[in-house]
Amino acid sequence: MNGKHIEMHGVRKNYRFFTLDDLNLELEPGQILGFVGPNGAGKSTTLRLVMGMIAPDAGEIRVLGHAIPAEQAIAKRDVGFVSADMRLLPHATLGWHMQFMKSIYPEWDGGYATTLVKRFNLRPEQNARSLSLGEHVKASLLLALARRPRLLILDEPTTGLDPVARHEVISEFMDVLRDERRSILFSSHNTVDVERISDSITFIDRGRIVESSNKEDFLDRWRRIQVQLPPGAMLPELPNIVGRVTDGQFVTLTTNQYSEGMRALVGPHVRDIQRMTLEEIFVANVMHHREARGQ
Amino acid sequence: MNIVIRKLIAKELYVNRWFIAGGAFSGAASVLIATLGKGGFNIGALTWLTTIIATGVMMALYGIMNERKEHALQFVLSLPLSIAGYVRAKMIGLTASFLVVWAVSCAAALLLVFVKDSVPDGLAVYLVLLCVFMLANFAVVLCGAMQARTEALNSAVIVVTNMGVSIFMFTVGPLPGIQKNMWAATPVWNSTFWTVLGCELAVMVLAFTLPFLLAARRRDFL
Repeated sequence: MNGKHIEMHGVRKNYRFFTLDDLNLELEPGQILGFVGPNGAGKSTTLRLVMGMIAPDAGEIRVLGHAIPAEQAIAKRDVGFVSADMRLLPHATLGWHMQFMKSIYPEWDGGYATTLVKRFNLRPEQNARSLSLGEHVKASLLLALARRPRLLILDEPTTGLDPVARHEVISEFMDVLRDERRSILFSSHNTVDVERISDSITFIDRGRIVESSNKEDFLDRWRRIQVQLPPGAMLPELPNIVGRVTDGQFVTLTTNQYSEGMRALVGPHVRDIQRMTLEEIFVANVMHHREARGQ
Repeated sequence: MNIVIRKLIAKELYVNRWFIAGGAFSGAASVLIATLGKGGFNIGALTWLTTIIATGVMMALYGIMNERKEHALQFVLSLPLSIAGYVRAKMIGLTASFLVVWAVSCAAALLLVFVKDSVPDGLAVYLVLLCVFMLANFAVVLCGAMQARTEALNSAVIVVTNMGVSIFMFTVGPLPGIQKNMWAATPVWNSTFWTVLGCELAVMVLAFTLPFLLAARRRDFL
């Protein structure tokens, strides 16, 4: 199947105090989509919709070509899901879970599972209840990865992990992506992790998609321009300015469509033009959209 | 039945293995205790009842509520099955787990009635109704646990079903058609018996069916 791994069109989900609205999302084979948003933005709700755990009130969801939630049982044969919230069955050992997955998934790769057990320093005889948060995430990841699924859906998998565990987990994602037929939808509020592994990024805030683009495109377009204005001087009208902070004669402008022409427009008063980190872009983007929506 | 549902049913039997073993042992042991004179009979009967009721409640609570509370439900729902498939696996798996305890306990009690000379065989009629009632009671607890999404609602179901056991004993025992034949030398399967049994079976069928009609069609399962 060569179609998109995930398609969401006009999806809406209403709760009493929260609405996910007009959600459009696409994930191509071989793509890693970083799904970034603040707490309560709707990331987990979106991923649960994709997994068929909850049903949309409107819109269409297709995963690996199958309609969700109606055909979720077929679609999920080739989907690995890991969430920071998710726990394994408390009365069973990791070894039992591995046997359980092996009995369900014919593609289960026992050799790879053993490698991951060693790499993640896990013990198969350990009861799931006694696993730490980091071990739980790594164990869940092991169970998802050793099935060799075409699509990995990861809901904040690095949340609460120490830097070493985070490094181990992220490295494993990188390994997965050596196979270009596989894709990852990765939600997080940790932009450092997302910046490291994603090739596309979607920002979500308060139940709405703020912006979706290629990672390099985001990093290329967004700039912080620092200007020092002499007394009495005025800044010319500049296009695509999404943020402006004035401190005496110093003005810091944030643009989401930087071009060399902007430098020429501002003229000799430019002191510095800085690239922005993904975190800075994310914050500026969210704040800009909140202002635009009058929130 | 697809392999995931079959494996999930097997999972329930595995996860509940200690409940099953402990419950079955306790049910059979309490019948043995009941053979030890009048005091033993009272203690044995109480332990026997408690074993069956407590095993059913704990299986339903641990199997459904705790899975949700401990966030293991997401793991199960991430497997290749639908919500209806999950409900099916859960209902069959937990019922199968409970049935082992119930069957061992009830068989032991019926054996006692038919084997021990000091216990009249006529008591078997009431005992059969009590056993079926407890199976229906489990079905209601299971149905409640599957439907209810709060601990408060679950607790309410448990309180009501526990009260139901007392109500059964106070209402069914004194029924003329049951009471007058309770000490008979042979069981009397009269119309009162069949009417009560019919009511119990109707409740059981309803309780076992409702989750397939309601929980299985729930749009949001988390």
